[in-house]
Amino acid sequence: MANEQQYRLRVRYGKDGRLAYLGHLEVLHTIDSSIRRSRLPFSVGNGFARRMRVQFSQALPVGASSKAEYYDLVLTEPIEPEVALERLRASTPSALAPTKAAYVERRAPALEAWLTRSDWHAELEGTGITAEALDAAIAAVAETGAIHYMRGEKPKVADLTRTLVSWQCAQSGDVVELSLQTRSSNEGALRPAILIDAAFSAAPLAGAQLAALRVTREMQAHEEGARLVNPFDENLVISLT
Amino acid sequence: MRPERRDRFRDLEPLLGKVSHPARYLNHEWGAVEDQPGPFHVCMIYPDVYEVGQPNLGIAILYNELNKVEGISCERSYLPWYDMGDLMREHGVPLLSLEASAPVASFDMVGFTLAHELVASNIVETLDLAGIAIRADERDEEDAIVVAGGPSAWNCEPVSPMFDAVLLGDGEEGIVDMARCVRDCRAQGVSRSDILLALSRVQGVYVPSLYDVVVDETSTEEGYAVPKPGSGVPEVVLKRCLQDFAASDPVPQKMVPYMGIVQDRLAMEVLRGCARGCRFCQAGMTYRPVRERNADQIVEGTLRGLELTGNDEVSLTSLSTTDHSQCALVLNRLTSELNDRGIRVSIPSQRLDSFGVDMAAAVSSGRRGGLTFAPEAGTQRLRDVINKNVTEENLEAAARNAFENGWRRCKLYFMMGLPTETDEDILAITAAAKKVLEIGREVVGRGYKSGVQVSISVAVFVPKAFTPFQWCGQLNTEEVRRRQQLMLHSAKDRDIRISYHDANVSVLEAVLSKLGRRGFDLIMAAWKRGCRFDAWTNEFKFDEWVAAGEEVGIDFGEIAWRDLPLDARLPWDHTSPGISKGFLKREWRRALAGVTTEDCTFATCAGCGVCPSLGVENVIAEGHRG
Ligand code: SF4
Repeated sequence: MANEQQYRLRVRYGKDGRLAYLGHLEVLHTIDSSIRRSRLPFSVGNGFARRMRVQFSQALPVGASSKAEYYDLVLTEPIEPEVALERLRASTPSALAPTKAAYVERRAPALEAWLTRSDWHAELEGTGITAEALDAAIAAVAETGAIHYMRGEKPKVADLTRTLVSWQCAQSGDVVELSLQTRSSNEGALRPAILIDAAFSAAPLAGAQLAALRVTREMQAHEEGARLVNPFDENLVISLT
Repeated sequence: MRPERRDRFRDLEPLLGKVSHPARYLNHEWGAVEDQPGPFHVCMIYPDVYEVGQPNLGIAILYNELNKVEGISCERSYLPWYDMGDLMREHGVPLLSLEASAPVASFDMVGFTLAHELVASNIVETLDLAGIAIRADERDEEDAIVVAGGPSAWNCEPVSPMFDAVLLGDGEEGIVDMARCVRDCRAQGVSRSDILLALSRVQGVYVPSLYDVVVDETSTEEGYAVPKPGSGVPEVVLKRCLQDFAASDPVPQKMVPYMGIVQDRLAMEVLRGCARGCRFCQAGMTYRPVRERNADQIVEGTLRGLELTGNDEVSLTSLSTTDHSQCALVLNRLTSELNDRGIRVSIPSQRLDSFGVDMAAAVSSGRRGGLTFAPEAGTQRLRDVINKNVTEENLEAAARNAFENGWRRCKLYFMMGLPTETDEDILAITAAAKKVLEIGREVVGRGYKSGVQVSISVAVFVPKAFTPFQWCGQLNTEEVRRRQQLMLHSAKDRDIRISYHDANVSVLEAVLSKLGRRGFDLIMAAWKRGCRFDAWTNEFKFDEWVAAGEEVGIDFGEIAWRDLPLDARLPWDHTSPGISKGFLKREWRRALAGVTTEDCTFATCAGCGVCPSLGVENVIAEGHRG
């Protein structure tokens, strides 16, 4: 398609309920077929495989929910964003439903590397967990500067000096709520569950037992100096007319 | 006691974070029927993990048919992988359905797909995890009615003690009749034994408990089944056959799984049945007659299915897609519609001739992976014995056509241990591979860079019920090994690669194919020794199976390797796909004489007995084939 028109539609979607347990590839696969079902005029790559031109933001850990995941989809016709959003909503499983869509600059940077900041909300339930103890435990982990953990068979290191931005803990009945701000670097992102795991090995939470953990990504943004740029920032979004 | 029907997802949820592939257990896929009002509830089960079972067309068809009926709802379930199964047992969570997360044991009717022989131990595991009594005769009045059906129902004796009823043949109408029958009986407060009696009156339904197994001088030690006195059940249960196949929904699989599954594409069943008459092929004998959909229906159904599911590939499935009388037309229409949209069309295998290669080229849109052919036997003599109506010239023309069309790699499927096979036939396998390689080098060029490669894959022949080879013994393992060595040493070219299927798997398949009802003791003993997921190469524990056999007095070699007398009554004689025993015997004699029998969709009726006994006939879209 040498001279087809191309319009880059940015879509925000959530990941909710039991679909939190979908892996990243499963989400991509599901959204791919949702887009096909929507019958939007998507652009197809030129390679042998003839893939749909769509790019996603960074993988969300399995088990985490989200209110702010993104993909950029290239369309060959300028469908009104509201119309496109409606069609995508109708063709996507509700737990992955898109919540916002707008066209962005054709040459805007790719989402995956560009979205470097995430805000998380976690709820912890179990025995011996208090907001204060969790706060102190995370501080103790942060102090060490890095977390060494295993991912499958592979040893991994999370560099906290780069990736852990800040956190706040609050008590709400039996549930401890954690707000967490993280940054991804070239080496990777900090998964909230890894930090929380490490915190339970730290002294302030000695003897505490985690029974249930719910993690939600609340926000993603690009960090530009001290400023956080939203994926739908007015400097990025373009109107069709 | 049947457990209460309620949503138990909350009990399962805490386990999801601890298992591999949690998506197996999530459900609510696009296209699933989430609303399950009942009040009569059926659960269809494929006894393997989700990603293996989900693509199964049979279950998709029955799921739709049952959910269409007012007052009947149908859900699905699969066997959890070890990690999840163990956790469920540990936490007291029974097997649940996907749609409503209700205990499988709470359903009114539970149906299993008998996809192949090797699911036997998984059925036991599934029932146990569900908390349903494994043996039908141990179930209580109120317990779920457990039924089965599918390709491997042809000889279902070894698994039959687990089932209240088995449906033979095409399931789409029969399953609804069965559900209605159970529902009506339950509404009238009929006893369990009377429900089974009522089920035995439904055409195509075999109720194992209403038959006694008799061993006498007319049978082998596997015996034969006769109606229990006074039961009034038929001596022979004839299969169901859907004559108006073309009127059925062409795209039954409307669900889009989250996880990458084994066959991640839209399946369009273009035709059912195959009358080529390969004498080793059970499906060819048991799915007759041939019924085609027409080109319009295939193209329209495909486009609709793609819209509904968002799949990026469609597979035209059947036992012999390239035999469809409008195959070229269908492929041309589909590829011209779909190529620009990045949607691939695939056909599962091609006919071994030039036409087959043309069809493969038509759908490949420039991609040239390996091309697969199945000559099955190396010499013309042996191909005539098995009635694989393919000549040397066919193979050579197909290979030439393939290389000229840009393919570089050919894969050839063969069987070893076919009746009457000699060393000459074995050596002919590698000779055929060399010939194909030679043609490739001639067309493409010699030298390493040409990339021409031929691989041969050799499976051990498994004699199956309702084929002309049902009386044959399997080749014993020692002889299999010797012939494998012979073959390996005869193929010296580095561009010929040989691979074998595990001969032990074939032995177990043969044993389960040939045993009568006492085979169930073997299955139970093997399950108790930890056998399950036997179809998974890494999970298959042959030694445990053999030890289980010793425990219950079943010698594998004796069962698998011996020939059966032609006039013996066989353990599966009371079930029938409509093929007459006389035809099978005639075919066996013709095989020994090396005389072939023509495909009745290309030539005249071969007298297999299916059409007259079932009151059906071949339906060919174009009016004729060839
Ligand atoms: S009865 Fe005749 S026409 Fe019918 S399937 Fe058999 S051989 Fe073919």
